[in-house]
Amino acid sequence: MRSASITNPAALAERLTAKDQVDASVPESTMPPYMEMFLAHLRVLIGVPFDYLVPDSRLLPDESIRFFYLDRSWTDRLVDGAIAVGKIGTREQAHHQAHSADVQSQLDLTERVVRILQRGLPAPAEPDQSPARVLTGFLLRSAAVTGWPAMDVRAFSTIVPPFDGDPDSPAAEQWAQAAAAAQLTTLRLELLSASVLLAIFDGIPQLVWCEAPHHNIEFALQTTADVSFYLDRHGAAGQTEAGPQVPVPVRAANGRVVAVAELRDRLAALTGPPVVPQTGSAAFAIELLDYPWRQRFQGVKSDLRVSSGAFVSKYQVASVITDPDVSTAVTGLL
Amino acid sequence: MTDPPPQGHMYLYDSATPPLDDGSYRLTAATEVSYQGSRQGFSQETYFTVAGPRFTVPQAMVATSYPPGNGHGPFQDTLAHIVLSRRTLPWERELDPSGLIPAPTIPPGAPPAPGLPVPWVALLVFEEGEYTLLRGIPLQQAVPADVFTRLGSPANISCDAVEADADLVASILPSVEELQLLAHVRWVNVDDRELNTAGGDGYYAVVISNRLPSASAQCRAILVSLEERSDLVQANPPPVADPRTGPAAPAAADVPASAVPVDVLPNPIFTLSQPPVHTFSPVIGPPLTYVPTARVRLVALTSWQFTCEGPGTFRQLMQNLDVAMFGTVADVGHPPLSDTGHLPIELQDRLGASEAVWYRGPLVPYNLTRDDLGPYHCADQARRVTPETGAEDVSYAAAFEVGRLLAAADPRLAQAIMRWRRESYKQSARASTIGALADRLPLELPPTLAETLHTPITPIIGTAATQAVVQNAPPQADAYGLARVRGATGMNPADLASAWQLASSVEAADLLGADPGTLGAVVSPPAQTTRADTTLAAVAADTAGLDRLAAARAQAVANAATTLGAAAPTTPGGA
Repeated sequence: MRSASITNPAALAERLTAKDQVDASVPESTMPPYMEMFLAHLRVLIGVPFDYLVPDSRLLPDESIRFFYLDRSWTDRLVDGAIAVGKIGTREQAHHQAHSADVQSQLDLTERVVRILQRGLPAPAEPDQSPARVLTGFLLRSAAVTGWPAMDVRAFSTIVPPFDGDPDSPAAEQWAQAAAAAQLTTLRLELLSASVLLAIFDGIPQLVWCEAPHHNIEFALQTTADVSFYLDRHGAAGQTEAGPQVPVPVRAANGRVVAVAELRDRLAALTGPPVVPQTGSAAFAIELLDYPWRQRFQGVKSDLRVSSGAFVSKYQVASVITDPDVSTAVTGLL
Repeated sequence: MTDPPPQGHMYLYDSATPPLDDGSYRLTAATEVSYQGSRQGFSQETYFTVAGPRFTVPQAMVATSYPPGNGHGPFQDTLAHIVLSRRTLPWERELDPSGLIPAPTIPPGAPPAPGLPVPWVALLVFEEGEYTLLRGIPLQQAVPADVFTRLGSPANISCDAVEADADLVASILPSVEELQLLAHVRWVNVDDRELNTAGGDGYYAVVISNRLPSASAQCRAILVSLEERSDLVQANPPPVADPRTGPAAPAAADVPASAVPVDVLPNPIFTLSQPPVHTFSPVIGPPLTYVPTARVRLVALTSWQFTCEGPGTFRQLMQNLDVAMFGTVADVGHPPLSDTGHLPIELQDRLGASEAVWYRGPLVPYNLTRDDLGPYHCADQARRVTPETGAEDVSYAAAFEVGRLLAAADPRLAQAIMRWRRESYKQSARASTIGALADRLPLELPPTLAETLHTPITPIIGTAATQAVVQNAPPQADAYGLARVRGATGMNPADLASAWQLASSVEAADLLGADPGTLGAVVSPPAQTTRADTTLAAVAADTAGLDRLAAARAQAVANAATTLGAAAPTTPGGA
C-alpha cells in the first residue's frame, strides 16, 4: 500500500481548501466534451431509471398529468456520484473539491444544449449565458400519448391568451411573436414508454399547452340525424368561412363511402365565400381538415391547475399552396 | 422554400415524387474520341435497382395513424388516415405501368382532372367480419396469376393479404382520380415535439381513407398495395347517391350492394355444381341455391385496429386527465406520502437489519433551494436524519449511487474523467513549479495564473536565469588571463628595472617585447581608408584599376606555376 503523502491534518485541510489548480475557464482543465455531455444528460435525468423518478406507481396513475419542480440538489448529487468514479484518494477529492463550483456552473449552461444535440441540430453560436433557472416539467401518462405521441408541447412564462382572429392579419403575427418571446426553452421532451411522456422546461411556466400534432389532424365531417354528411367551408389558411355547409356526396353502392371525386368537383364549382381553389390533393385536404385541439393548462398559484381547454378556432395551414411560384419551387425541390 | 414552417403552421403539398421510381435501371455512359480524322466510340453499361417497400411497409416508416392503433373513440365521423415518415412512399411505384386502366371519361362541364402522380397505395377501412387478414402467405396466393406475372414474378416473397368480398371491395376502392386526391404531403414544424419526431425533417406523407366507419363497430384500417391491380382499380368513380335528393335507399345503413337478396344477384361469378346436402324440407318455392360471393385479395402493407366506441379523441382524453402536482394521490395515505413528498421505503442497513427510511425522487411538488454544501465525495455524506421521525432520508444518497452506477457502466466516461483529472494534475504541477521558480527568480509573468499556464514559460525562465547569472559575475575583460600573467613578478617592467638595475622601466618593457597589445593595453584598430560608395558601372569604367587587377592575377598565376613546377597545367583563362 502506498503511504500517504499528506498526513498532517492541517496540511490536508490546506490542500483541500487552497485552490492551487487551474481555473475551469482554462482549456486544459475544462471537462472533456464527452464527460461534459454525459453529466449534462444526467442533469435532465436522461438514463435515470423510472423507478427513481416515480417510486410508487400510484403517484402517476393512468390518464393523469403530474406537474413538478425538479430538485436541483438531487441532480447535483447524481453528478457528484458520476464524478466519484475512479476517486481513490485525497488527490482526486481535492481536485473535485476545487473544481466542483466550476463544474456546476458549466453544467448549468450545458444542460440547455442537450436537447439541441439530441435533435441533431448544430449547437447555438451564442449560447445562453444567464445563470441557472428553476427547472420544472410534467409527466403525462395517457392514451393520448400512445395515439398522438408527436403532440406539440409548449410552456410559457406568462399566460398567452388564445388568439381568435384572422390568421393572416398583422395581429396574428404579433400574437405569434409575443407567444414565442414568452415561451420557455424545452430541455427535455421524450417518451419514456409508449404511454408516458416526460417534459422538462427551463423556468416556471404559467401556461403549458399540448396540441394535437399537425401531421395527425383528423378529417372530420359533420353529421346530421338523417345520416347525411356536411362539410364546413375552409379558406386558404384553413379558417372556417361563412356560408352554407357543403353536402358531402356518398357512393350509391355504399352509403358510408365518400364520393371523393364528386366532392372535389362540387367544391371546385362552389360559388359564394371562397374556398381553396381545388388544384389538387393538398387543397382538397384543407377543406376536410378539422382543427387540432389545444389543451391549455394554466394556473396562478404554486400548483398548476387546468382551465377548460380552449378550442383553437383558427390556425394556419398552408396559405402558400395557392401561390404558383412556391408550388413550382417545391416541385423542383422535391 | 427551405425554411421549415414557423410554429403553429404547416404546409401541404399535392405529392412528393422521388427522382427515380422504384425499379431496375440500365445506366449507359458513352463517349466518342476522334483522332486524326478517325472516330471511335466507347460505351459502358451498368445496371442498378432502386428498391423501396413493395409488399410490406415496416412499422418504422409509419409515423402515426388516426384513429390511433387499438384506440377507442367516436371515430365514426372521421376519415381514418395514416402518416408515413417517408414522404415519397405513396408515389415511389407506378400504379399501372402497363397502361391497362383506360383514361377516365370526363363529363362535359366538369373541371379537368388534376393530373397529379397517382399513388400506388390506398387506405381501406373494413369492419369486423368483412375481411380476413392472411398473415405471411406467398405472394402468388395474394394476387391473381396475371398480376403476379406483371409484377415481375418475384420469387420467395411472402406478405400479408386482406381478403374480402369483391363487391364490398369494389364499393370502397377509390378510382384513379380519387387515389390522387386521397394522398398528400405535409411539412410541419417539429420544434416542440418528442425526440423521434423532433429529430426528423418534418415531412410526412398522409394517405386518407374514403370510408366512414359505422358507430360502435370494430374496424381495421389497412394500407393496401394496388400496384398492377388494373382488375380492381376503376378509371371512373362509381355512381353517386345525391344527398340533395336524400341518400339512396340502401345507403342509410352501411349495407353494400352485394347484400341484396341472392336471387337477384346479377351474374354470380361461380355457383356450386351440387346443391347443398342439408336442405330444409318441405321445400317451398324454388330450391335454395348456395351462392358464395367472390372474394378478392389485396396485398396488405400495414394495418391497425380501432373501435368506434367510448371517449378516445385527443380532445376527450386531454379533457379527462387527472391534473395535479406530483405527489398528489387519489386515495390519501396510499401510498403514505409525507407532506414533503417523501415516501417511506424499506431498506437493509449495513448490519442486515431492515429499516424504514424516507425517499423522495427528483420530481417534487415544491420549489426547493439548492443544497450548496457540495460536492459530496461518497453517498454516506449525503445521508440525513429527519429530526421529526428519527428515520433516515436516503434520497440524495440514492441519487449519488445512481449517478455512480450510471457512470461506472460507461467505460468511455471513466476514461474521460481520468483524462480530465490527469490534465488538471499536470497543470497543477506546472503551477507549483512556476510558483517555486517565481519565488527565486524575477520572472516577468502575466497577471493571472490562467494566462501564465498558457504562456510559453521556458524562454522567460531562460532569460531571467541568464540575467541573474550575468548580474553577479565580473566583467569579461581579460579573455586570455593576461592580467594574471602581467601580475607575475617577472613580467612587471618596474620590478624588472629595479632588479636588473636598468635605467628605466621603459627599457625593461622593451626587453619584455615592448608590444603594448600583449601586455593588455588597449590597441586601437588601424584606420580604414574611407571609400566612396560606387556603382557597378563606375567600377567597369575604371580601366586602370581593372588593368592592375588583371596584372596582379597574371602574376599570381605565374607564381603558382613556378611553385608547382613546369608540369603544372596551364590554368584556363578566367579562373
